[in-house]
Amino acid sequence: MTLLDEKRTPAPAPSPARPSRAAPWLRDLALGIRFAAAGGREGWTRTLLTAVGVGLGVTLLFLAASVPHALDARTARENARSETQISENPDAQAKKSDTTVLRIAAETEYHDRTILGHLMRAEGTHPVLPPGIDALPAAGEMVVSPALKDLLNDPGNALLRERFPYKVTGTIADAGLRSPNELLYYAGSDTLTPAAGGHRVTGYGDPGPTPPLAPLLVVLVIMVCVVLLAPVAIFIATAVRFGGDRRDRRLAALRLVGTDIRSTRRIAAGEALFGSALGVLIGLVLFLVGRQFVSYIEVWDISAFPADLAPDLRLCLLIAVAVPLTAVLVTLSAMRSVVIEPLGVVRNSRSRKRRLWWRLLLPLAGLGVLAVNGQSGEYEVVNPYTITTGAVLVLVGLALLLPWLVEASVGRLRGGPVPWQLATRRLQLSSGTASRAVSGVTVAVAGAVAVQMLFAAMNADFNKATGQDTSRAQFYASSEQVSGNAAVETIKEFRATKGVTQVIGMIEAYASKPGKYSEDDIQPTTSFSIGDCATLREVARIDSCKDGDTFVVHPRDDKDMSGWMDKTARKGKEIEFESGTGRKLRWTLPADARTVVGRKDPVGEDRWGIMVTPGAIDATTLPGASTVSQIRIDDSVPDAAEYVRNTAARIDPGMRLVTMTSVERDRQYASVQTGLQVGATVTLLLIAASMLVSQLEQLRERKRLLSVLVAFGTRRTTLAWSVLWQTALPVVIGLAVAVAGGLALGAALCWMVGKQVTDWLMFLPLAGAGGALILLVTLLSLPPLWRMMRPDGLRSE
Amino acid sequence: MTPAGSLLAAHDLRKTYGSTPALDGASFSVHPGEVVAVMGPSGSGKSTLLHCLAGIITPDSGTITYDGRKLSAMSDAERSALRRSDFGFVFQFGQLVPELTCVENVALPLRLNGTRRKDAERTARTWMERLEVEDIASKRPGEVSGGQGQRVAVARALAGSPKVIFADEPTGALDSLNGERVMQLLTEAARSANVAVVLVTHEARVAAYSDRDVTVRDGRARDLEHAA
Repeated sequence: MTLLDEKRTPAPAPSPARPSRAAPWLRDLALGIRFAAAGGREGWTRTLLTAVGVGLGVTLLFLAASVPHALDARTARENARSETQISENPDAQAKKSDTTVLRIAAETEYHDRTILGHLMRAEGTHPVLPPGIDALPAAGEMVVSPALKDLLNDPGNALLRERFPYKVTGTIADAGLRSPNELLYYAGSDTLTPAAGGHRVTGYGDPGPTPPLAPLLVVLVIMVCVVLLAPVAIFIATAVRFGGDRRDRRLAALRLVGTDIRSTRRIAAGEALFGSALGVLIGLVLFLVGRQFVSYIEVWDISAFPADLAPDLRLCLLIAVAVPLTAVLVTLSAMRSVVIEPLGVVRNSRSRKRRLWWRLLLPLAGLGVLAVNGQSGEYEVVNPYTITTGAVLVLVGLALLLPWLVEASVGRLRGGPVPWQLATRRLQLSSGTASRAVSGVTVAVAGAVAVQMLFAAMNADFNKATGQDTSRAQFYASSEQVSGNAAVETIKEFRATKGVTQVIGMIEAYASKPGKYSEDDIQPTTSFSIGDCATLREVARIDSCKDGDTFVVHPRDDKDMSGWMDKTARKGKEIEFESGTGRKLRWTLPADARTVVGRKDPVGEDRWGIMVTPGAIDATTLPGASTVSQIRIDDSVPDAAEYVRNTAARIDPGMRLVTMTSVERDRQYASVQTGLQVGATVTLLLIAASMLVSQLEQLRERKRLLSVLVAFGTRRTTLAWSVLWQTALPVVIGLAVAVAGGLALGAALCWMVGKQVTDWLMFLPLAGAGGALILLVTLLSLPPLWRMMRPDGLRSE
Repeated sequence: MTPAGSLLAAHDLRKTYGSTPALDGASFSVHPGEVVAVMGPSGSGKSTLLHCLAGIITPDSGTITYDGRKLSAMSDAERSALRRSDFGFVFQFGQLVPELTCVENVALPLRLNGTRRKDAERTARTWMERLEVEDIASKRPGEVSGGQGQRVAVARALAGSPKVIFADEPTGALDSLNGERVMQLLTEAARSANVAVVLVTHEARVAAYSDRDVTVRDGRARDLEHAA
């Protein structure tokens, strides 16, 4: 038997391996990636356009993801330099030791920038040190933050150098600074004592309990985040579609060689995946490079160290996964509305009329969620998730409403001059691109309108009128426990300061009724003020006055207080003054002292007590005196405020000098508002960039057509106006949607926090910003438009 | 130098793109109502010559005279105005404005020249009727066939009552049947309106509709009339 004789059962033909469902996906995605990566100049242009757009958005997302760490790092540094509290009473003094340090705040301002500062005096050989410095500066020396060092070294800041008569011996390290641009100094003193206001420091790094954010502010913070991040997400989704027309033409060529419609969609998704993945990388690089320069940037007084911008790793991973995934989904969704035919012809699938009903569902659902959440009281716990969900649904719903509204509105436009006709017809033919570009503006403005309404409604809670009359005085200066002589000199020096027009300057002390009192008795006491006639007229209703006069000034409409005061202010009887060191002085209140009624001083306080002119008492002998000066300056004198501050620093570096203001803002509220302003600025710039890229892309697609129009002799202005209308129409409609939606959302949020809407016209500045955006984008589009209008575009060889 | 009675004449035109010469001493002329075909292989400089003649681009040297006026002495705005008022254009792919309807496309040159919309569209419809495309007046270019689109483009070129029509490969994207019909309609309409036509083509079949041929090779135009 040979092998040939052997009967062998033929082996069954291998059944074709059942293709997995993922295989065509992977194959087409890979093909799309190849087209994007190796598709020649045109392919690269499109990929880069998408990548740069996505990259910009991703940079902002990384920035947003860094905010929690940046805030934590800032707070940690602030906490590290907080002084250890020995008691809940802030005035309580610790015991002197080898490590304690006496400290007095010596804060000042320079050209509207606050300079924090402390005078320090070690009480032993091993003083505790605030973070960022190696040793306490000796008397006459100071260590400064780098920003303050730069400011002092600037030749134009001689007035500031005059204020700090110290030798700069060192620089405060980053660990001791809240932010890179913080202006801070520690100066040494050899005269500071507890009696002169010095506070004893035993250590650093114990800030005590921090008050939690008020529930109303939580609502605001959530809204600000939603408002700022929603446009970024929309921008990324828009960037993924950049260059879609060219890609469609390439896909048509693939259809010719047998690719089916599903494959073309997957190939397009592969291209988007590559572009967006590259965008994530570009975003990461931009972020990493950009953060090296972040310390040079200061927006609305906020800056950060490069190390502060460290995004949370989980958020980074989320961005890295979500952005390319979004790109794929957006592309697949966009491809559903086009039919790519094999003969190189790409036609929009039969244009389906956009339907309104499902687009209304989202914003209505959002309002519903907010309504279900109900009203929150001022101190009730706020559920941030329902608020966020409701707000996001409303805002995204508005973005969905926009394409329908743009289509419905421009569809009705007829006639008009050539530029108008070109623009409206363009929008009628394809309003989707324009709507997408504008949806970012819509969401941003709607959210900002809502947040602004909420701000306005909550304004009264967080912004308090101080009652200070800044038309009568702009500065309030006070020094305590000074000698009477020093007090007199202080007022003289302020009066002699350049730019000062008036000083309501008084030397103050407490006068009491002499006698012996048991522990249960309260010794009658009242305030005693010395000032010239002009000064006294500012604080009391005085008709006639000459030097040597004395007045008993009763408070307005307060008989009880007047009665209590009169127990001390007995005409013809003695009163007694006592200093902190026990030195006493008695003085007789003249019998002819006139009784008058007090008035509010510029600070807004009702004044009363015994008031005398300098001729009635020798002020230099007064024990336990303090000096109070309310200073009015001539705004037309350059740097008048700085001269006042220099005088104050020269008299007493620890002098309390307050710039008077008519409204006092809550710090947390101010921080949230600042955050919104910073974010809104960045977001608006991003939107402008998005619209500009979209506009340029449209122009590039029409380069040949523009050249043809130029060949006809079309004027540049005709096309420029056409571009303007083409930008303006969707933006105006978008703004209308944004304002309506924003007002509705704002009213809902106000209702939720139990506030009345105080200003329905809050949207006007934002609408104005939207208008400015249109002009900006149009203006920036013009130079490329001019270039594209060159007849070179007609050349085909 | 300008041949007697010519409406548009060019002498010794030179134009280079970077280091590549496109025109190298080309001369050309066309009379009112005359159809002149500019022929030559790809890259020979035909289109560049047409663009120079139409005042779309300016030659590096040489002179172009239109109706007794020197084009090279005119500003960009003056040349644009001339193109709006006296010239018409037909390109290979029609190059209609996609968002405008066909009638609006045809009316566009008139409207750019300041004619009121209704009057412009009335004139446009007349021309569309002559070119047998009145039934697609309200359609957009994307909704019509290539041959129809090209006839709309011819109607657009004629609607502004130009004195010269510049046609750059007007049948290049059409099948022979449609191409011939377009050429027939174009030349008939031009001759009846005494409009000169400068026709750039590389097809002898298309050039057959012209009164005279000019051949461009290596940037030099061999214009027999000019040489004479």
